[in-house]
Amino acid sequence: MNLALDIIIYPLLFVALFFEVFALLSFFDKDAVARRKRRENVSYPTVSIIVPCFNEGSTVKGTVDSLLAVDYPKDKFSIILVNDGSTDDTADVMNSYSANPQVAVLHQANSGKHVALNNGIAHATSEFVGCLDADSFVTPQALKRVMANFDDDKIGAVTSSLSVHAPKTLLERMQEAEYLFGIMLRHSMATFNGLYVTPGPFTVFRKRVFEELGPFRSAHQTEDMEIALRLQRAGWKIQNAPSASVFTKAPTTVTGLVKQRTRWSTGFLRNSFDYRDLIGNPKRGVLGLLVLPLAYVSVFSGILLLVISMIRTTEAAWNYVARALEVPFTWDMSALTFDWFFLPISTISILSMVALAIVFAFIFIGAKIAEKDTRFGISLILYFLVYNFIAAIWQVRAVADVITNTKRSWR
Amino acid sequence: MSPALKNALLAFVIASLIFGTGFWVSNLVNQARVNEIQTIQERIATDTLSLETQFDLLARLSCDAITENSILSKELNDLAERLDYTERELGSKNSTVILLKRQYSLLQIKDYLLMQQVASKCNLKPVFILYFYSNQGDCDKCDSAGNVLTYLRKTYEELRVYAFDYHLDLGALQTLISINKIESDFPAFVINGKTYYGLSDLEAIEKVLPLDKLATSTPPRAN
Repeated sequence: MNLALDIIIYPLLFVALFFEVFALLSFFDKDAVARRKRRENVSYPTVSIIVPCFNEGSTVKGTVDSLLAVDYPKDKFSIILVNDGSTDDTADVMNSYSANPQVAVLHQANSGKHVALNNGIAHATSEFVGCLDADSFVTPQALKRVMANFDDDKIGAVTSSLSVHAPKTLLERMQEAEYLFGIMLRHSMATFNGLYVTPGPFTVFRKRVFEELGPFRSAHQTEDMEIALRLQRAGWKIQNAPSASVFTKAPTTVTGLVKQRTRWSTGFLRNSFDYRDLIGNPKRGVLGLLVLPLAYVSVFSGILLLVISMIRTTEAAWNYVARALEVPFTWDMSALTFDWFFLPISTISILSMVALAIVFAFIFIGAKIAEKDTRFGISLILYFLVYNFIAAIWQVRAVADVITNTKRSWR
Repeated sequence: MSPALKNALLAFVIASLIFGTGFWVSNLVNQARVNEIQTIQERIATDTLSLETQFDLLARLSCDAITENSILSKELNDLAERLDYTERELGSKNSTVILLKRQYSLLQIKDYLLMQQVASKCNLKPVFILYFYSNQGDCDKCDSAGNVLTYLRKTYEELRVYAFDYHLDLGALQTLISINKIESDFPAFVINGKTYYGLSDLEAIEKVLPLDKLATSTPPRAN
């Protein structure tokens, strides 16, 4: 049994190490280095940021205030708030900004986020349009830094560096570790046009993209992923502004987190199936040959590694309990002494430690890129020990939903 | 060559190097474990020879002079734990593991014979357990039996337990098996000359042990 499990673990470990090293090499690529330094704009084109909102009256004020504080020429920057048929005080909060010349407020019957975004795009007269979720906040420099990365006419969208807003609980801090890891990864993959998501919290598009490719679609409740894949298929590039920091509120309960991530994972599985011509396609470069295939592998390997861990842990626990029940309990002082001979040093444990060390490094590099001062402590240890088990739960759920064609509500 | 492809090739090479290093370090650690076992075995062999030589040189050896007794016992126990761990890591068919087990079994037999001489000379009444197991899949009680014997050995310091892999290819071991007429019915025990089969729980083994001798062990006396 152990040999069979090792035969599965070794290739997965190799693939993980290969991808991590590739990301690290991309991080040191001269284009990535230049992009990290890119902060100043040659010009200030017109931009509209759309904030679609459904029942987020408690957070949208902070979102709008952060946009109003953005350092960008006021006559070149407008904010479009779209109330998607909210039943709380969202409409009132939004209307309180209607006197501001920078802000336009739209109300529509509840039709979904993609309709709200399209409504905002239709009202925008600017050259660029962006989106910002109503539970997210931008830093004052974020827009300038995003716009500075539209340095190529082929770039259709630029994403930002997303992290958790004021993480307090252990669960929020674990998510923060994940987001910071994502910042590093997104920045590295953007070097070779390897992005397949343009996240809702603060991505800016050329408006021309929507005129050519059509508006946002419902797309399995992940319109940000679908539009990115559509951009890639049409030959557009997606870049990343590593120093454009944006913060988002993270789910505060495990249930909420699993629900959110199940939606993201099913969105990935369904959208990538719709765009399966990109997968394994050499014409798509890093995206087709590396990022998308490995994204699939990571969904299933997460589940597989969880199963293997559970088998091995159960086996070890069973043996330990069985042995312990055979004799009376005695406290053996030798159990406290350190003996290198019995350290669990094996090829798998060594390689796993190397892979984890690289993840660790990515998290800290991500924090540095986003200029975020994050304190971790025990949450980092829990991220390594516990978070992957939670992740496996939503991955199992997502795969099951796709297989059984189950559709779930957004919230 | 595109920068992406160059990076991918370089990443493949580096990942392969990391993998190779992982295997190499793991092999180094396992070799260090084997070396440690060999060192311990050499030390035990030397200490055993030293004790035997004392017997030969001195016609009337004072039992107080026997200081290696308890040290040898502890060293043999430490060796057993390390050998057991190494066998689990490298596998019971590994040639190095088999060689180490043969040397260990020989050391155990020498210790057993020597302790019988010491007991006779110093008027001691120790309790010896010869335990025969098999790891060829034909003994599902052997793990339990081994666990219980480890507990008993730690609980009763005068109890001397010698564990042998029945199927090990070692002349001295096969002679021991033949002398005691041990059948291939596992686990098998020889406790102070009497043979028992199939015992695996604490109660059953304690039942056949002369616990009163273990509880009231007398110090060694000169002849």
